[in-house]
Amino acid sequence: MVDIVFIVLALFAIFGGLGMILFAQPIYCALSLIVCLVALGGIFALLSAPFLFMVQIILYAGAIITLLLFIIMFLNIKDVNLPDEPNKVTTIFVGAALLIPFNILILKAFSTLPNKPMHILGKDFGSIHSFGIELFRGWLVPFELISILLLAALVGAVVYARKGSVDG
Amino acid sequence: MSGVLISVVVFNIVMALVVSLVFVPVLVWMERRVAGFIQDRLGPNRCHIGGVRLGGLVQSFADMLKLVFKEDFRPGAVKEKMIFTLSPVIVFVTAYLSFMVIPFADDLRIDGKTYMMQALPIDFGLLWILAFAGLGVYGLMLGGWASNNKYSLLGGIRAAAQVISYEAVMGLSLISMLIVYGSIHLGDMVRFQGQLIWGFIPAWGIIIQPVAGILFIITAFAETNRAPFDIAEGESEIVGGFHTEYSAMRFGLFFVGEYIAMGAASALIVTLFFGGYQIPWLNTTVLKDHIEMIFIAIIIILPITSYIFARWIKKNNVWLEEGDVRNKETRWLIIGLIGINVLVVLPLVVFLLFGIGENGTNISVVLLQVMTFIIKLLMMNFFFIWVRWTLVRFRYDQLQNLAWKVLLPIAIINVFLTGIFVVVLGV
Repeated sequence: MVDIVFIVLALFAIFGGLGMILFAQPIYCALSLIVCLVALGGIFALLSAPFLFMVQIILYAGAIITLLLFIIMFLNIKDVNLPDEPNKVTTIFVGAALLIPFNILILKAFSTLPNKPMHILGKDFGSIHSFGIELFRGWLVPFELISILLLAALVGAVVYARKGSVDG
Repeated sequence: MSGVLISVVVFNIVMALVVSLVFVPVLVWMERRVAGFIQDRLGPNRCHIGGVRLGGLVQSFADMLKLVFKEDFRPGAVKEKMIFTLSPVIVFVTAYLSFMVIPFADDLRIDGKTYMMQALPIDFGLLWILAFAGLGVYGLMLGGWASNNKYSLLGGIRAAAQVISYEAVMGLSLISMLIVYGSIHLGDMVRFQGQLIWGFIPAWGIIIQPVAGILFIITAFAETNRAPFDIAEGESEIVGGFHTEYSAMRFGLFFVGEYIAMGAASALIVTLFFGGYQIPWLNTTVLKDHIEMIFIAIIIILPITSYIFARWIKKNNVWLEEGDVRNKETRWLIIGLIGINVLVVLPLVVFLLFGIGENGTNISVVLLQVMTFIIKLLMMNFFFIWVRWTLVRFRYDQLQNLAWKVLLPIAIINVFLTGIFVVVLGV
């Protein structure tokens, strides 16, 4: 049962990712990305990490892609404005073929990994309580550093936006 | 799976269906009647089935039938047919799913086993609701974009901008509530609100955290696209906004989705700030200890209120034309009222005489709490409608200024102060 759900979700994620690259119209790319992200969220839920699952949907599918779609709709790109991609299919196939040796390398790396139990961990593993305890006891300093980094990025964005409007 | 578990699950899912889908005609009726009374007119009250009008409620079913049987017309200019069809479905499904985690009553204990009274028994309910509140806007955006129409596109963009701004404030106002309640499980939050402050004030969220309550109610209005935040479909500026090109049942899904979203927002406000299913001063333990006194109170109060209500119906429900079929309605309504009284009072008398047992007590407490929740939900819905017909629509720049320059700083200060208070008082 879990395997079937996993396979379905994985297929959704893979086809979402492919669609994101292959569609010409940007709005379809954004929609494929949503499909991919929601499917990934479903995989998190399968791995008994409900908090990550909800955060994935709230932040990525809910907030970030909304912003992305907003910008795409704001620019209102017409079909005539899109770039010509005459050899798109060939380019993709050549690119995929070039990546095959790298994929083989990754598979080999996987096969050399030591044997560990590969079952899904218990119910308490990814719950919000245990996650919060882990985050604020073991990883407090990295967590605060990341928040400072985000704050710096925010200030930087505001500064750039203001600069543009003052210079006209 | 035992029979008890199955019946509890079925009950919860049916409850979720009732308070979302079945309430839509009721809400439409409320909206039109309240609008009528606020504008000093009557609103729809003539439509009837065999003379029964129910104060105009039957009109909603006529409207629904009309939407279903209208021609399903799609303009030729629409190129993205799939997205065009999908977007009302997104609005509808996300609004409906957010109802799944609202607790309708306290946890039910039968034969020593505890059952969560939610359609989806998960303990991270608040995150679930936040997730689906954020996803719902895709329906409006994509609908507006796929319509291939300038007004629709403007409506979709407005919806997106509004939701992005107000989601931030909504999250921050919720954080101060999380600090107070110490849990993201909606059931725990409602249980917390069953306490009393200083022994006589119910510890409802709106009393502990009035600022967060007001902020959350404002943002809930914005998230559901209700007036005064309905710039996405501002008909005086952009025709119908995102649903300009929709007709028949495609429009109907948008319409139903909007009312379900309003119901879900009301349910969440009731759960977070108005004590959820808790009857004021009577939390679950008190109810269980005094169940017989409550039965006696119901046996006394219900017939008296029914009698007054029947007198009121007799006086007011008159159709001036003699011999019209609608004149028979009063009789039907009074027979119905007497029937309800008999159906409620007789079992209660039987329970009082023969005792009800522990399971029976628990089940009757749950039923009482479900009734309380529904009454509170309807009152909150009335508040939504009241505001819509009282306030005027914001202009776009006023709306963004309100979100970023007024509400967001207040929300951040509130989180800060709440944190300090909780640490200092050590609660």
